[in-house]
Amino acid sequence: MSALQFIEGPLFYFAAAVFLLGAFWRVFGIIKIGRKKDISPPKGSAVGGFIKGNLRHFVPRGLFARRTWLHVLGGYSFHLGLFVLFFFGAFHIKFIDQYLGLSWQALPRWGFLIAAEIAFAGLIVLWVRRISDPVMRLITHKSDHIGTWLTFLVMLTGCFALQQSHDMLKLVHMLFVDIWLIYFPFGRLMHAFTFFLSRGNSGATYGRKGINL
Amino acid sequence: MTEKADIAVAKFLEHTDAEAASFFDACVRCGECAEACHFFLSTKDPHFTPTYKLEPMRRAYARDKAPFSGLKKAIGLAPKPVTEEELVEWGPLVYDSCNMCGRCTLVCPMGIDIAGTIRKMREGYAAAGLAPEGLERSVEFVKKTSSPMGVTLKALEAQIKHQEKECGIPIEIDKQGADYMAIFSSMEIMGYPEVLGAYAKLFKKAGVSWTISSVAYEATNVGVQIGDGPLAKEIVKRVVDAAEALEVKHVISPECGHAYGAIRWAGPNMMGRQFKFEVVHIIELLDKLRREGKIPPGKKDGRKITLHDPCQIIRRGGLLKEPRSLLDDSCDNFVEMKYAGLTNFCCGGGGGVSANPRAKDLQTKAFSRKMGQLDAIKDLEAIVVPCGNCRTVFEDGLDEYESDYEVLGLSELVAQTLAE
Amino acid sequence: MHDLTTKFRRTPAGLLRIVLFLVLGMVWMGVATQATYAQSSVRAPGNAVNLPDDQGSANTLGNVSDSEIWDAIRGGNPNAIEALTGPRPEGAVFNTTGQQWRMLREGVIRKYLGWFPLVVIGLLAVFYLLRGPMRITGGRSGKTIHRFTLNARVAHWFMAGVFIILGLTGLMILLGRPLIAPYLGLEANSILTSAAKEGHNLFGPLFIIALVWLFIKFVGSNFFHIRDLKWIFKFGGFFGGHVSSGRFNFGEKTWFWMVVLIGSVIAATGIVMLFPWLVEDVRWLQLSTILHAVGAVLLIGVLFGHIYVGTIGMEGSLDSMLKGEVDENWAKEHHDVWYEQMTGKSAKEDQS
Repeated sequence: MSALQFIEGPLFYFAAAVFLLGAFWRVFGIIKIGRKKDISPPKGSAVGGFIKGNLRHFVPRGLFARRTWLHVLGGYSFHLGLFVLFFFGAFHIKFIDQYLGLSWQALPRWGFLIAAEIAFAGLIVLWVRRISDPVMRLITHKSDHIGTWLTFLVMLTGCFALQQSHDMLKLVHMLFVDIWLIYFPFGRLMHAFTFFLSRGNSGATYGRKGINL
Repeated sequence: MTEKADIAVAKFLEHTDAEAASFFDACVRCGECAEACHFFLSTKDPHFTPTYKLEPMRRAYARDKAPFSGLKKAIGLAPKPVTEEELVEWGPLVYDSCNMCGRCTLVCPMGIDIAGTIRKMREGYAAAGLAPEGLERSVEFVKKTSSPMGVTLKALEAQIKHQEKECGIPIEIDKQGADYMAIFSSMEIMGYPEVLGAYAKLFKKAGVSWTISSVAYEATNVGVQIGDGPLAKEIVKRVVDAAEALEVKHVISPECGHAYGAIRWAGPNMMGRQFKFEVVHIIELLDKLRREGKIPPGKKDGRKITLHDPCQIIRRGGLLKEPRSLLDDSCDNFVEMKYAGLTNFCCGGGGGVSANPRAKDLQTKAFSRKMGQLDAIKDLEAIVVPCGNCRTVFEDGLDEYESDYEVLGLSELVAQTLAE
Repeated sequence: MHDLTTKFRRTPAGLLRIVLFLVLGMVWMGVATQATYAQSSVRAPGNAVNLPDDQGSANTLGNVSDSEIWDAIRGGNPNAIEALTGPRPEGAVFNTTGQQWRMLREGVIRKYLGWFPLVVIGLLAVFYLLRGPMRITGGRSGKTIHRFTLNARVAHWFMAGVFIILGLTGLMILLGRPLIAPYLGLEANSILTSAAKEGHNLFGPLFIIALVWLFIKFVGSNFFHIRDLKWIFKFGGFFGGHVSSGRFNFGEKTWFWMVVLIGSVIAATGIVMLFPWLVEDVRWLQLSTILHAVGAVLLIGVLFGHIYVGTIGMEGSLDSMLKGEVDENWAKEHHDVWYEQMTGKSAKEDQS
């Protein structure tokens, strides 16, 4: 078995399993802790608040956005860029097809490249902001750096492999993908799944009190 | 680990429910919350970043309760245990520089309720005896007299008598079967007793019966401020018992921030049952009576007036429109301040800060944000502050910054502008 | 509470390590370049046959000499300057500039350009050993003044990040053949060059964004002023003596305009290379590669000076880009005019 076969085969299956089971366990573990039933007479709907809280926090409030527009721009650029380049990149669709038998329309190469540029720009802005401000340095944990750098390296090695000239480059990219997947459930990257719980929980509390935030 | 740290950590873990856990695990350390916090904005001290204030509790959770915490501990990757020194170091962050105003939740991309989590964190501090001395002193007072300022029944009766004379309307104590039972904050009884007269005038006009209990007239809940669950329950229980003994239909929560949340939302959960009466906020009640035409507005106040939004009533209480519709009827020249409404700044004294002498300087600094908001309004004359605690903070703050805007209570203003 | 300043004090040591690592890397690159060129001096192939000179008829065609035929094919004298700048001559078949471009790239740029950053690092090392870091006279005051907003800092570090990625990948493309191939083999060099080229191309456009952003954020305080002349005459105070300056001194302004102007050239030539169909004449592409490489290496070299003054070379400088605040005494010492504008106080009074 060649190194690439191993990295794309057994190691990838292992990484994907760790990712799926780990992420599920972590979300389940949080929900499992439970919370005391609120018996105060409600003024509004908790479920409605849960949904509303999730949607409301996608959009920054104007007066705050004026102060933090760069951060909002960086955050959205990175996340949307990553979403597009991952789900609509031709290589990625082919890769998913190979495992799941699902495929859809890919972006043309120039579209993919623009998405990648936007994602990289956003990620760099987010990380340099982390190191260039006392507040950010004080509150940043190791797992913030690890998560950012792993994601950056996955993206960078992916872009290194763009010429598709050597298997070695694809191998390095896939190796980082595997590492990223294995790390995912244990660190900050989990925010991709926990965000709906925290937004929802606040939203539910507010919703129940009839607060229209 | 010392004994105190053990107690605090045990309480942290006990109070980390699924909600708090989701907050700890979702925070991406983006630092946006600093931009919303008046303590950070007025000092630029990074330690006042709201999410940082939760750090000891988050770490206790990550070490001992979070999913995979056992696995991480086994391979030596768990965070260090929380020490007593750290808890002491964090004391000013948990008590002095957080009003539990909830402004940070609005800016948080993850919607994390830091204020509510600070409330839970204080349980650990209070249980371990690490709460600030000043607040502990209020607790002593409450245990002795039921009021954090030591307001006795005698003092209340004196104030009532004076107000009866002033407005010419009798105020009945312990009236069995009244529609409404009013409770007040010590601040109001001692500092702004006109509110008693205002209630008498308004309720007479509306034709509703009301009373004040001789055993449970105090609304301030120091237990909630300091984070002492059993004490908070005791204080709520006193009101509930008195109201149910008098068989009143409603209890009126006064113009006081946290008192409303303490009895309306936390109360039934602390008591473990629903009450036999309904809790209603005075602003909610006045607005209802106004819309029913029972307290029609008369001649309006002509001064240029703005409204301060007490956090626990507006942002965290949901009474956003009611004070505004009351003010529209009561004054000619009402202007909103910048950030008005849900995103308004706290006065800086909520959440027990104003009762905590250690936090005095910080509170004054934080008030500078409020001063900025007020001074931005040209020719401002008066501010309506519908919260007894905010009101004292305003008076101190305006004094400190040598400003002479008048500070008004909402009920008094509504009573003054009532149709003859 | 954690003492923030201890955290910062740790940073210069870390940076020193990085700089040391870079220096060693560059020295190795320089030495290796020379070694490679020593080995591969031009030689005739082993099976080459020398034709005897006296077989005149073989070298002529009718009454036209060989050189005349070749001149016709090339379209004139290849060494004439018009060949490089003028329109392509009528009837020319060969493009002779390609050979000149190759000679320039192989013989000059690849051979000597890499030495420039090394020389800069060497000079800085010598300066550091002789003079040591510039300390704040009288130490830190503990009071700070606001220097850069968070957005300005992010703009700066965004440029820094993009520049480092482009610098490393660019150097790999330029110097991979002489520096990597002889040691790791052609296969490895091919892999690395392919990766570097894709990375370089992808990050290139981000450099343009960074450049525009940086320009907008910093241009305001970077116009030259008459007092900058004094700074030049006093060698920026690096060899003693007090120099007066506003928000930015002459050195900083020069660096700013170098980045902006050379950066613009790099950006423009980069676009030409990314989208070669934008130009009709191949000589634009040849010119682009040359300007791109020379400009980039020039900036890389001066960058080390910038990093030096920003970190180990001058106490208190890094604060401006890590906190946005600088110590008052630092401001009084290095930017007295700016200090006076900011605080309304005189910078001459005894330093507290």
